[in-house]
Amino acid sequence: MIEKIKASTSEKIIFLFVLILGLFSITSFLLLKDKCLFVKDYDPKKIDFKDPNNIAVLNVGCGNVIIELYPEISPIGVERFKTLVRSKSYDGVAFHRVIKNKLVQAGDLEFGKKGNIDYGKIGTGKSGLGTIKSEIDKEFNYLKGSVGLARTQKYDTEDSQFFIILQDEPLYEGEFTPIGKVIYGIKVLEKIKYLDKSEYVLRPDFINSLRMFN
Amino acid sequence: MKLFKFILLCLFLISPVQADTIYELIKIPHLEIYNIKTENKLRYLNAKQAFTIGVDNNINCFKSSKQDLDKKYKIIEKNLNRYSQNFLKKINLKYIVMCEDLSISGIKTAGIPDNIMKTLIVDIKFNDKYFERVLHHEVFHIIYDSYKNIFDEKIWSKFNPKEFKYAKCSTCTEKIGLDTYSKPDGFITEYSRSTASEDMAEVFSHLMYGNLPSEVDPILQKKIEFIKKGISKIDENFIL
Repeated sequence: MIEKIKASTSEKIIFLFVLILGLFSITSFLLLKDKCLFVKDYDPKKIDFKDPNNIAVLNVGCGNVIIELYPEISPIGVERFKTLVRSKSYDGVAFHRVIKNKLVQAGDLEFGKKGNIDYGKIGTGKSGLGTIKSEIDKEFNYLKGSVGLARTQKYDTEDSQFFIILQDEPLYEGEFTPIGKVIYGIKVLEKIKYLDKSEYVLRPDFINSLRMFN
Repeated sequence: MKLFKFILLCLFLISPVQADTIYELIKIPHLEIYNIKTENKLRYLNAKQAFTIGVDNNINCFKSSKQDLDKKYKIIEKNLNRYSQNFLKKINLKYIVMCEDLSISGIKTAGIPDNIMKTLIVDIKFNDKYFERVLHHEVFHIIYDSYKNIFDEKIWSKFNPKEFKYAKCSTCTEKIGLDTYSKPDGFITEYSRSTASEDMAEVFSHLMYGNLPSEVDPILQKKIEFIKKGISKIDENFIL
């Protein structure tokens, strides 16, 4: 006959400690896996915009990024961006160039589409609409969240690619065409996948959708 | 060799990507902002450590002390403020890089202009006697590179006596004197005799610095008129 032995108080404490530790480990693991945990997802419908016709909503893995566009600063650039947004061209396009805490870049419609990425050519693709003129004459402070059109080393080569800066970049003024600024959801962009050793991202994150608010 | 390649690969893999906006824009490493809030929107940068650039890494320049930078910056800014934002845009000049002991292929030089990258590298330790004038000389090279059609070397060379020939390049000659001739004979300095573009730059820099010789011979007079006319074609409001 087996005699039932009662656990001592110290044994109970150790058991309880192990149990709590186990629960803590599992919870931490699950929480840490969710990179979007502390990122607020803004609902544009709950926000009252001054100029709703110039609001674009970029939806990515961690939620919405709300961008205010500035047609008075860069009419041609904003018009191109709106054209591509309205035709849903940016949906499923990669954030192919991401530098931690500096910028995210997307918009290669030719070589950056989900399921059809060409890592050898990504960043060089075109929209098919041709290039547009750089609009860099008006004053613009490239503060964190500013959105600009990417170009080659030459001016007047802007097309569909755009970048959003994650830190102030005063030297960008007069270099890149500014088209707008993130007004809500910049933290969402800080969670976009980046690599420590390269600006160009293998297996990148993608734009789920990019729509005009109105 | 394989081991060397392996070590290089390891170094690459353990080096995190650095976000260097200045390098991204003008392809010169190790620079930092000195002042970008200027009237004519020129952006002044300085070397935070020595840098090497160019074909076969043939251009070298070194870091300057804060004291030297502060002293020379005032002189550089005073002179370059004479160029308006509009004019600078037309000639494609935006970045001024300040460093010292600038050399190209081992030859010391006052400045290296690059109108493609919109950059002028200035050696702040260049001879004080000529420093201010030389700034305008280097700016002219930016102008010249942007408007070669206006500053046609063939037309310019015809101003000279028939028997005169320039050297093939500015470093292929011993004619490097920068002292202004008191009695010029078609050339304003010895260096003017090196190449047509250096001759033009010397005339322009004397016009900008305001130290033309008191006696100007007919050939030099034609050259002065040519430069003035050319500059007014670029910007009629430019005061020379």
